[in-house]
Amino acid sequence: MPAPLNTPAALNPLTTLAAAVAGAAITTAVSSWAVSLAVALACAALAVRSGVAGRLAPAAAVILAPFWLSLLVMHGLFFPEGRTVLADWGAARVTAEGLRFALDMGARTAAYVMVFLLFSFTVRVPDLVAVMSARRVPPQFGYVLASTLTLAPAISGKLARIRRAQESRGLVLGGGPLRRLAAVRLQMVPLVLSLIEDAGERAQALDARGFNGSRARTSYRDVPDTAAQRAFRAVALLLAAAAVALRLSGQWPQLQGPQLQGFAMLWPLGVPA
Amino acid sequence: MSQPSRTLPAPGQAAVRNRRLLEILGAVSIAATFIFLVLTQPADITNGLAGGSTLVALGGFLLGAILLIVGVLPTLPTSTLVLIPVALVLNIALGQIMGSTGLPFYFDAIGTVLIAVLAGPAAGAATGALSSVVWSFINPTVLPFAAGAALIGFLAGLAARYGLFRRFYLAPVAGFVTGILAGVVSAPIAAFVFGGTSGVGTGAIVSAFRAMGDTLLAAITKQALISDPMDKAIVFAVVAMLAYALPRRTTLQFAFVRRFNVLAGKKQDAPDA
Amino acid sequence: MTTVALLEARIEAFSYHGDDADVLHDVDVAAAPGTLTAVLGGSGSGKSTLGRLLAGWLSGGNSGQFRGTLHLRPSALRRDSDRRAAPGDSGPLVFHGTPDDPRINPALWSEHVGFVPQDAAALLSTVGSTVAEELAFGLENRGMDRTLMHAEVLRAADSAGLTALLERDPATLSGGELRRLAVACSAITRPGVLVLDEPLGSLDAAGAASVQAMVRRLLDSGTAVVVLGQAVDELALSATRWLVLDGGTVTAHGTPGELAGSPALLHSGVVLPALADDSPGPRRRTADRHPAPTGPGTENSAPAVLELDRVSFGYPAGKHQTGPGVLGDLSLAVRAGQIVAVTGPNGAGKSTLLRHVNGLLRPLRGAVRIEGKDIAGIPTGRVADRVGLLFQHPRDQLFERTVLREVLFGLDRKSGAAAEAAARAALTAVGLGDQLKAHPHELPASRQRLLALATVLAREPILIALDEPTVGLDRHGLVRLDEALGAAAERGAAVVMVTHEVAYARATAHRVLELRDATLHEV
Repeated sequence: MPAPLNTPAALNPLTTLAAAVAGAAITTAVSSWAVSLAVALACAALAVRSGVAGRLAPAAAVILAPFWLSLLVMHGLFFPEGRTVLADWGAARVTAEGLRFALDMGARTAAYVMVFLLFSFTVRVPDLVAVMSARRVPPQFGYVLASTLTLAPAISGKLARIRRAQESRGLVLGGGPLRRLAAVRLQMVPLVLSLIEDAGERAQALDARGFNGSRARTSYRDVPDTAAQRAFRAVALLLAAAAVALRLSGQWPQLQGPQLQGFAMLWPLGVPA
Repeated sequence: MSQPSRTLPAPGQAAVRNRRLLEILGAVSIAATFIFLVLTQPADITNGLAGGSTLVALGGFLLGAILLIVGVLPTLPTSTLVLIPVALVLNIALGQIMGSTGLPFYFDAIGTVLIAVLAGPAAGAATGALSSVVWSFINPTVLPFAAGAALIGFLAGLAARYGLFRRFYLAPVAGFVTGILAGVVSAPIAAFVFGGTSGVGTGAIVSAFRAMGDTLLAAITKQALISDPMDKAIVFAVVAMLAYALPRRTTLQFAFVRRFNVLAGKKQDAPDA
Repeated sequence: MTTVALLEARIEAFSYHGDDADVLHDVDVAAAPGTLTAVLGGSGSGKSTLGRLLAGWLSGGNSGQFRGTLHLRPSALRRDSDRRAAPGDSGPLVFHGTPDDPRINPALWSEHVGFVPQDAAALLSTVGSTVAEELAFGLENRGMDRTLMHAEVLRAADSAGLTALLERDPATLSGGELRRLAVACSAITRPGVLVLDEPLGSLDAAGAASVQAMVRRLLDSGTAVVVLGQAVDELALSATRWLVLDGGTVTAHGTPGELAGSPALLHSGVVLPALADDSPGPRRRTADRHPAPTGPGTENSAPAVLELDRVSFGYPAGKHQTGPGVLGDLSLAVRAGQIVAVTGPNGAGKSTLLRHVNGLLRPLRGAVRIEGKDIAGIPTGRVADRVGLLFQHPRDQLFERTVLREVLFGLDRKSGAAAEAAARAALTAVGLGDQLKAHPHELPASRQRLLALATVLAREPILIALDEPTVGLDRHGLVRLDEALGAAAERGAAVVMVTHEVAYARATAHRVLELRDATLHEV
């Protein structure tokens, strides 16, 4: 979701993007639940400071709550590799290793989700599109991104209009799941039809307005950048690269933990443990 | 041509070759990452998911998806490009609704498959990858699945190219096969990056397999083999239904539909039209 | 005409892919600097196709087959402004309807011929977050320097009267503002020729006047303007030249004075100003079997078909800035056989009022009664058995593959075996009896509205409610609508419509009311 247009954005979108990518990469490379939780909390604090917490909190909750629940059930109750059994109910077995695994995964995903949501809730998409087009990213990419965000409310408005029109024609919405499914089908047809027809019209309008990517584009919008931000981006990306390289080379100090065995068993070409 | 200034020349060959190279590199990156994940010592995901596999899975799949996007996007005609935002809104809206029901289905590929049927495999692959990238602005957890989404779009386009949408009953079959492949490719992401699945419904299925003693990757792959083929069969059938509800003038605007006779069965459907 | 035409088009034939019949044949159009050409034609006459063809939107074989020539000459307008050398006159482009026809580069063509489609919103890029950025989109794509671009955007905004709106989100513009923005987006590259499809369509008086003033300024600056329309409106009356398009070909051409009242114009579906005459003409309904009651409280033995009893309604605060109450203590009674029209400017709450009659909106206070029964708590889909509501956008209501199936949908539940006969009768009544197998979305806009009307008529509702029924209808369509409404009233149905066209309301309804200050006033 784009930030409202009237809030002052002090930072260049590339700076916040670099910070988000570096944050996610370093957290993944460090791979410690304490660090992950610290990153997630730091993001929450930043969200409060930049005034997006009210919109970010429900978005994050919708993603993380079912995920955490799913992890807790999945690994908390069923973790065949676990040794330290805390409770045993036949098929379901609570193990310390399983809980630890769920905590690790839950914390790391929380950090990842918070970092990127903070970016997307604070970035101004028109600015992002403008800097991308200045960096020779194909203009089509910026188009798809900006247009999707513009079209989403327009399409939900259109769907509401179709629903009203069809109710007025005698379609009773509601009832059993099959009736609901049939109603959805009837709404999808005019929705998709008019969306495709509108899109065909828009394609010709875009062509006529010179949008074919064959010429270098300029941008009406001027997005400020500073030397300090450029330096920060370079440092953040270098740190991320270093952390990833360290992890991949196997030089990272190993934390002790239970080993999961036999993941390759499913695969005929699997390497023996 | 008497007025080269106002008419279009034939497309340049060199540019096309460069784009093709990017597409191939993207596909190679995705395939190599998958093979690497399956072949390498996967035991290292246990202790705090210490990130080697996680970083490789994230980096390799994302790099492949981005190469595909950059390679394909500039080659698409504007009439296809403007459909992508529409497809993304359909994907995201239906995906969000389905995600909130708790059922083990996704329904987040209807837009992608629709584009693939109208505009071909390359457009489908780009749409799938873009869908994940743009959706990640409100739900970052879908970003790592970009490669799987691209594969779905690509396979749907191939199915359309070889006439599987000419018969209504063949479309779900093609969807079923696509679902098997897409599920197998996406399972390592769920296992190595998130340590589980994000939905409650899918999580319950994984737990059931874990309770029977399966490894995490095996359990998630089996869950994917239950959910994905059914899901994609339904999605392909819905798209076939939509494609046949469209007026002929609209579908025939697409060169891909005209050239490969994608919806030939339509003639028998409405001989008087 | 002494000046040389900037664009000369000769269309031998054009057909869409998948259609056997030609949409256009034997049409000649010429546009000279500073002149206004009005192409007049009814729904389905091919005028929108003509506009697209002139704009270079249909060449290249992707949409259809075109035989003919397009001849563009450099405009003095561009030679002054464009720093790049304007291409000289290099003769006409010839199209044979074969794959190796010249493919028009739309970006370069639009620098000479600008086009604004009927749906002005379709011209917007959807990526401009402000009016200024939307105006700049075409210049960004052409790689214009930012300083120069800012100056050009200011100039374009000034000539379109959009200067005060530069920082607004395009999605929040009114109909007239949106139309002016679209024209300005096309005119920003200073094309010599501008083609406008129904530039006044669905605008209220204030919006239409602002667009007309903008067209006048473009003409004064030497632009050749071609207007496509299905009504002889003020813009058409000020044209230099008329072309009457009927059945895909030009049936008459000349000055407005020569063509007014000509048989070709009468035969075409063009809406004539006589219909928009302010004095109650012979079309005024006289056969009101139930004398119009003087007020909502009038005593009468039979209950009214529709009764709004002291209805108040307001949208939740914050969503709309129109004030707390859109409807306040509003009462209205419509009897069997009576046709009531509600007029008022855009934004007065006419559509809000109409949505109360079938329960799409529920009153905050007061009651809505159909045949004396309160509809509170009854779902709209059930109320629809007795109340047929027709919206402005017919496409939203159509979802079947053929015209006949569209009308049949849900009808068998109500009428059983007689459904097919009822559907065919309703389609014949609106003049679609010969198009049963056509795809609803491929019909021209006017016939889509009539089809939506047929879906309502076939169910024989006791109350018919219409939202802006005249918008998009050509004269043939208006006649069909009029006949259908007359027949429905004859059979005893009540009709309530909202429209911004006061003259039409006077000509058609037994009783005309104005919605003003959240309540109804007798006119």
